[in-house]
Amino acid sequence: MAQDQSVLNLPGTAVQGSVSDRSLPVRWAHGSWSFIVGRPIGAVGLFLIVITIGAAVFAPLVSRYDPDKTFTTANPAFREDLYEQSLDNPLMRSTPPYSEHPEWFAKGEQPNQLASPSSKHWLGTDNHAHDMWARIIYGAQLSLLVGIGGAVIAVFFGTVLGVVSGYFGGWVDMVIQRISDAMYTFPPLILLLLFVQVIDRPNKYHITIALGLVGIAQVIRIVRASVLSAREDVYVSAARTIGASDSRIMLRHIFPNITAPIIVVFTISIGLYILAEAGLAFIGLGDPAAISWGKMVNDGRNFGSTEPYMALFSGLAITFTVLGFNLFGDALRDALDPRLRGRGSRTGF
Amino acid sequence: MRNYIIRRTVINIPVILFVATLVFFATSVLPGDFVATRIISQNPIPEDPVAQQEQIRQVRAELGLDDNVAVRYVKYIGNILRGDLGTSFQDRNSAVSGFKEGLPYTLQLSLMTLFVAVVTSVPIGIISAIRQDRPIDYFLRIFAILALAAPNFWVATMLLLYISTGGIPLPFVDWTIGWSVDITGHPLLWEDPVASFKLFIIPAVAGGLASGAGIMRLLRSQMLEVLRQDYVRTAWAKGLRERVIIVRHALKNALIPVVTVLGLTIAGLISGNVVFEYLFNLPGVGNRILTAIRSRDVPVVQAFVLIIATFVVFVNLAIDLLYGVLDPRIRFS
Repeated sequence: MAQDQSVLNLPGTAVQGSVSDRSLPVRWAHGSWSFIVGRPIGAVGLFLIVITIGAAVFAPLVSRYDPDKTFTTANPAFREDLYEQSLDNPLMRSTPPYSEHPEWFAKGEQPNQLASPSSKHWLGTDNHAHDMWARIIYGAQLSLLVGIGGAVIAVFFGTVLGVVSGYFGGWVDMVIQRISDAMYTFPPLILLLLFVQVIDRPNKYHITIALGLVGIAQVIRIVRASVLSAREDVYVSAARTIGASDSRIMLRHIFPNITAPIIVVFTISIGLYILAEAGLAFIGLGDPAAISWGKMVNDGRNFGSTEPYMALFSGLAITFTVLGFNLFGDALRDALDPRLRGRGSRTGF
Repeated sequence: MRNYIIRRTVINIPVILFVATLVFFATSVLPGDFVATRIISQNPIPEDPVAQQEQIRQVRAELGLDDNVAVRYVKYIGNILRGDLGTSFQDRNSAVSGFKEGLPYTLQLSLMTLFVAVVTSVPIGIISAIRQDRPIDYFLRIFAILALAAPNFWVATMLLLYISTGGIPLPFVDWTIGWSVDITGHPLLWEDPVASFKLFIIPAVAGGLASGAGIMRLLRSQMLEVLRQDYVRTAWAKGLRERVIIVRHALKNALIPVVTVLGLTIAGLISGNVVFEYLFNLPGVGNRILTAIRSRDVPVVQAFVLIIATFVVFVNLAIDLLYGVLDPRIRFS
């Protein structure tokens, strides 16, 4: 940065006390603070994201219970008096009306299934008598792994292919574009189903990779469009004039100038992939071993008419996590690259 | 115009062939074997295991599954070019007939969803734009961003639970929002209009609100942009009525990018419906493709994906043509 500083020292170019000549951490902190102050809705999104990440990272500390622990409770329907009578009269249990109510005689601990929220179980218990609060906290781990992991894969490969496609043009562009067109015509959920089912028993890592692969086409489109406009800029011609190689121009000149749309598409993809994973788990094609919010909605649905809490709370967890990434992504887009506004996310997930 | 349509159609042929290739190789590496699973499930403890293996081998040879992948690929593409999309392993019917049986359910659900999406998003988008930064605008925007974040299958689940338990009685009015939902019968609209409507309206509302929310947000920002244009100010200055300015001058120009998203929505409905068809037990296209993937009924998967991809390609073409209707400045060349 030495030559940059010398330019700033020329008369008339430097602004006294400007943030731009501070060190990087200071500039970064200043940028973040002005983002929070200037875009309160984005800050709300960031807050929701921080809560989710905190829940995932510190799950053992905040979950209160082991998510796989089965809770029991004293049988509330147990009738002490009838039980005493039945000890004297063994036939009593098999005669109506008593035969229709075996729970009156079941002494001892019962699994505490589908309990309503209480001080012991803040969000109640699920159909296996696990604590819902603990399971929702641990569920954040899977959602974030799949969302962030999928977005990293999609954005990495999408950026490489998009830059190459937009920069070289010609037959390279033609081939990459036809492949991305074909992936675009696939209904995303069906492509996802196919990719996931290629593995016999898919686990959460397979699902993450499949989501990333499905998302590549969209990233290619956005990156390519940005490259096409950046390619015509003067600094690219200047770099070419002084003899910079293609790879140098792509890495050092074009890439730094298209980071804004890449960051935005990364943030918004995370929310989309979390929704997609929940959808997969909902129709029973998720990782059977993982604690997944989508699977919890489906389990809750089967017992829902009497105890709706299970489906309700797991769905709320998905909603607020996705909401966080959407709000944050929107604010980032407005701050970094207003041109992207209206490039709607891909529907159908 | 006609040349444009012809050229676009020709360009799309390699895209569709590539989709066919992709789905062929994706399904040919699927683990598990339909024939073996099927025969063993019919007779799990055979008296003569050798004979059973022989039977499996015979059926596989009959279906042409023992050929080299390359040979099968060439045969497959050849069949497609001759218009034969394959035969289901499951019931030995042509895959296309299975698609036809499922289509009415998917079509009815998609059209109802689209109706809900348009009917909610267009008025909301307009109101939100012309009342910018008023309480109603904030309320509608919060509603839209929540509808976009909530998983549509969860909204449908909660609606279903709420409605099928009878709902809550409304104050002052002597009726409740709640009815019994016929999940097992899944009637179509022309078979039993009332029961069908009661069933389909739940996924249609859940899916329609989710896709409508995206359209609403886009329409709002487009309207805000257009309402600041000079020709809109001129229209106000001429003393035109508000309704004419909003609908004729502003909305028509704001709709162009909305049409793109609407097209993506239509294309996405088919796969978005997989979840709803699963949840509401509808034997539509999405549910059939889900069953086919699970049971490794490869020809059905291949045929369905190919039909859907072709449909999406032509929806995109139709949208590009619609641009010309909305904006006469766009010329096709």
